[in-house]
Amino acid sequence: MAALSSSTALSSSSVNGLHQRIAFSSPPSFLLPQRFLSAKLSLQCRRNSHPNMVLMEDGAAVTRPTHVKNETPLNELNERLVLGTSLEESNDAAGFDMNGDESTVSITVVGASGDLAKKKIFPALFALYYEGFLPKHFTIFGYARSKMTDAELRNMVSRTLTCRIDKRENCDEKMDEFLKRCFYHSGQYDSQENFAALDKKLMAHEGGRVSNRLFYLSIPPNIFIDAVRCASSSASSGNGWTRVIVEKPFGRDSESSAAMTKSLKQYLKEDQIFRIDHYLGKELVENLSVLRFSNLIFEPLWSRQYIRNVQLIFSEDFGTEGRGGYFDHYGIIRDIMQNHLLQILALFAMETPVSLDAEDTRNEKVKVLRSMRPLRLEDVVTGQYKSHTKGGVSYPAYTDDKTVSKDSLTPTFAAAALFIDNARWDGVPFLMKAGKALHTRRTEIRVQFRHVPGNLYNRNFGTDLDRATNELVIRVQPDEAIYLKINNKVPGLGMRLDRSHLNLHYAARYSKEIPDAYERLLLDAIEGERRLFIRSDELDAAWALFTPLLKELEEKKIIPEYYPYGSRGPVGAHYLAARYNVRWGDLGVEQ
Amino acid sequence: MLFSFSNLNSWVVGLCPPLTIDITFGEIFFCSASARLTCKLKIYKLEKKEKFLTSHNRFVRYMRSNFNDGAGKPLANDHSEPQEIEASVTASSEKVGSTLSITVVGASGDLAKKKIFPALFALYYEDCLPEDFTVFGYARTKLTDEELRNMISKTLTCRIDKKENCEDKMDQFLMRCFYYSGLYSSEEHFAVLDSRLKEKEAGKLSNRLFYLSIPPNIFVDVAKCASLRASSATGWTRVIVEKPFGRDSESSGELTRSLKQYLREDQIFRIDHYLGKELVENLSVLRFSNLVFEPLWSRNYIRNVQFIFSEDFGTEGRGGYFDNYGIIRDIMQNHLLQILALFAMETPVSLDAEDIRNEKVKVLRSMQPLLLENVIVGQYKGHNKGSKSYPAYTDDPTVPKGSLTPTFAAAALFLNNARWDGVPFLMKAGKALHTKRAEIRVQFRHVPGNLYKRNFGTDLDKATNELVLRLQPDEAIYLKINNKVPGLGMRLDRSDLNLLYRSRYPTEIPDAYERLVLDAIEGERRLFIRSDELDAAWALFTPLLKELEEKKIVPELYPYGSRGPVGAHYLAAKYNVRWGDLSGEDS
Repeated sequence: MAALSSSTALSSSSVNGLHQRIAFSSPPSFLLPQRFLSAKLSLQCRRNSHPNMVLMEDGAAVTRPTHVKNETPLNELNERLVLGTSLEESNDAAGFDMNGDESTVSITVVGASGDLAKKKIFPALFALYYEGFLPKHFTIFGYARSKMTDAELRNMVSRTLTCRIDKRENCDEKMDEFLKRCFYHSGQYDSQENFAALDKKLMAHEGGRVSNRLFYLSIPPNIFIDAVRCASSSASSGNGWTRVIVEKPFGRDSESSAAMTKSLKQYLKEDQIFRIDHYLGKELVENLSVLRFSNLIFEPLWSRQYIRNVQLIFSEDFGTEGRGGYFDHYGIIRDIMQNHLLQILALFAMETPVSLDAEDTRNEKVKVLRSMRPLRLEDVVTGQYKSHTKGGVSYPAYTDDKTVSKDSLTPTFAAAALFIDNARWDGVPFLMKAGKALHTRRTEIRVQFRHVPGNLYNRNFGTDLDRATNELVIRVQPDEAIYLKINNKVPGLGMRLDRSHLNLHYAARYSKEIPDAYERLLLDAIEGERRLFIRSDELDAAWALFTPLLKELEEKKIIPEYYPYGSRGPVGAHYLAARYNVRWGDLGVEQ
Repeated sequence: MLFSFSNLNSWVVGLCPPLTIDITFGEIFFCSASARLTCKLKIYKLEKKEKFLTSHNRFVRYMRSNFNDGAGKPLANDHSEPQEIEASVTASSEKVGSTLSITVVGASGDLAKKKIFPALFALYYEDCLPEDFTVFGYARTKLTDEELRNMISKTLTCRIDKKENCEDKMDQFLMRCFYYSGLYSSEEHFAVLDSRLKEKEAGKLSNRLFYLSIPPNIFVDVAKCASLRASSATGWTRVIVEKPFGRDSESSGELTRSLKQYLREDQIFRIDHYLGKELVENLSVLRFSNLVFEPLWSRNYIRNVQFIFSEDFGTEGRGGYFDNYGIIRDIMQNHLLQILALFAMETPVSLDAEDIRNEKVKVLRSMQPLLLENVIVGQYKGHNKGSKSYPAYTDDPTVPKGSLTPTFAAAALFLNNARWDGVPFLMKAGKALHTKRAEIRVQFRHVPGNLYKRNFGTDLDKATNELVLRLQPDEAIYLKINNKVPGLGMRLDRSDLNLLYRSRYPTEIPDAYERLVLDAIEGERRLFIRSDELDAAWALFTPLLKELEEKKIVPELYPYGSRGPVGAHYLAAKYNVRWGDLSGEDS
């Protein structure tokens, strides 16, 4: 690697003074994804123009493909990817990075007429464009079975685009420019010919430049493989990279997930597969590692010695609302816990990685997952919402949903206790809770600390010392915030203590809008930054934890505990928590 | 179990929970302030006996452990048999109830008008004074009761949040105020005062508190007269004194010795009003009732600690007293050093006054006496800003022209114990600076092997965590953390996890004097300075003060309203510290 870095510096110095400066000023930077380089500098550069941003990635200069037209850097080294060396980062990033003028990115949204595409993907792409994060040459293609013209697609897309609240000016202009880069191609998901036609259109737009292609599969999982096969064999880039973003569900259990991975790998290499878990793109989940690893005051506390329990809580205040068909097949455990909450847990609990490199972080996450005990039925409570009438408004039961079978036992709520059997976390309960149709909408991480041993102020706390412990709360959504509950003296002449918050409320501190998770993830996929995507072995480990439980729930036909729509969920969750001497932090009277 | 509680306050806390647990708001209301008082009033008579017994027990323990030197002084109990006196007190109290007389000696002075009477009124308003109480003003000035009341009434105010029937309360309070004119060194005059006090006490058990709001040179005279002629025969007699407690080890030792001729250690209440400040009180709560702080509270994690006091005005024509003392004696040796001791002490056995003060003394005794090279002194000079002209310290007519008295000082102190070895404790105090502020800043070390190093530039110490306790103005606690700036990049900045008292606690924060006077009435000594503490504090500063004076060290001049002499930065730099208050981030 040392040799590589020096050659990096040399080759880039011959091209551009800026490269040289950067390469020399931060020699180890080839180890890092570009966005982690000297943040202020890189960010400023990035804000101004995309090509500058990529200059920061000096590792890329090794394979600076100025003259490379007919070579796919990805073909080499592909087996090394899994080993997690960063060479690959440099290589595939190089595909377009170094040549603002020479390379193009084509983003094909497969399933463009779907809901996710309309609501999330196109708006995220526009936001990236608006902020100057997309490369100079880019094209967006919508692909779906519906017959549509480019204009119709543009019309459809335009309805969901919005500008950042803080940057209203020339928004319309930008929107028009963006829409002009959007095209549509109608085709079957399993038709190689249709994809080949798409390939021709893409090539026309790429105009002979190095072509990098990103396919976003916004389609049901049963056609993933077909689409991947066609895209890979008929519409892969000839000279740049080709990447595919897929979103959950990644199977229903260990077997189906493994089968899917296997099929995908028939057509794609591991480093071409970008499995999105959009929770990992959320600002506060990103910030979790920053909090832990860049503040001295948290890391010493981050273990069983000080932490009594950790709670990962997801609530939605609405039900399936007539769209339960997909959900009924999966249930809340697969839909939320096995992926989103478990991913956050792994990030939370992992050991310090060697670097912020994608592979280093993912290696640590896998270690956490593999140290965990598979869930046991007795550590899980499931629930399902029933109808409820409140003030004249009547809310439907889950089984009232027309797309759900009347006798469905699918859980819409689940709470679980998980344990990590390693030196850091032995005996600390990690509680998860996820539910639909609850009283509030919220995602948060709560860290409850132990009580102060031999507390001098015990007398002021009453009998249950654990009720007055410190608690760190990271509210992922809505209203992003971080706060630490501390015991404090109530001002006045007495000695009365209460819990107040040391807090950081994002809306108050940071006036700018926080980017949507999809923006970050799309940008990462374009840049080849894999940190926030799920690796195959991670996925396997995650399923291994949940599959036995899911099987047992289904085999034993466990009946969920019913809770009223809009309530705080089944009380069973409290008993589960009580068994491990935990109190749910979100349902305390304080909240 | 209850009998181990050692003062009325704890008593009430111990007894209240069944009455006052309030979980509706999820806060820890085990004994609210008002409950404390209600309880107090209810329990006061019922539990009188136990109260005295516990205070007696504590007294005995205290005398055994610390002060075996107080031989038979006029008021001193016979140490071997204090039980009898206490027992007789108890007996009489049960028959007739008790009364409290507070005599403000030096009633016509500034402190009395601005702080003491308003504090007494606030306590009365909040129902913190016993039912039966009398306030006496004592001074040389001839005044009638009416004149005193008139004078006091001008400075009384009600809490902002409790305006109703304020006037009524004020009138009722003033009716309890009386005046007696007399000389400070006249035993006869104090004897007359005694008879007037007795008149008001009407045969009830009498407890007497004397607040000496007078210049230090007459402390001893007054203590003598009051003790000999106006002590309570049936209840307790306590004396509050305020700084200066001498100018150095010798004069302070002399003062203590003189006071002890007439008073026992447990009758002397040395006020340091900084210890009565809300956030100083809260310092121990923060440390000892939160798991998250204590593990960090040592040289392993803390890089340095800063105690900062600034005033934005000079002596303003009243420098006569100050010039004789200087900022080091006026602020550092007492206020800042006391806060330092509280900050750095080991966990005490209990919250008992003696346990805490024992720990504080240990801190002071582990410290190295200050070295001249670890101190920077400054003095403000005249400054024109805009069209306004600000005077130099030596322009003050009450200050001699050639005065070298420091109006600013910065110092580095070190504790040679296992917890704090090598951690610089920096102090800074100054008058006529750009801002008014008192705060404690705790700078943590940088994260070892920080993964995000490259986001911080070259000086890792510039991006460390910092805990700030702002004592005044605008009480606040905040913890600076490194945080990701929201957005698609990975840019870090320091943001604050904060608690601004004003927004969290809308009620007015009581003045330090209210707390301290109440504590003195209740016999709670935690916030008062014990003789051995005072000795230890002087021992640290006396060599330096002598050297400054002997060598006639010329202070570094700084403009009125500036940020102080730059020498303070070089002093900090010597110990690899950066002043947290002048970093530009939050000046």
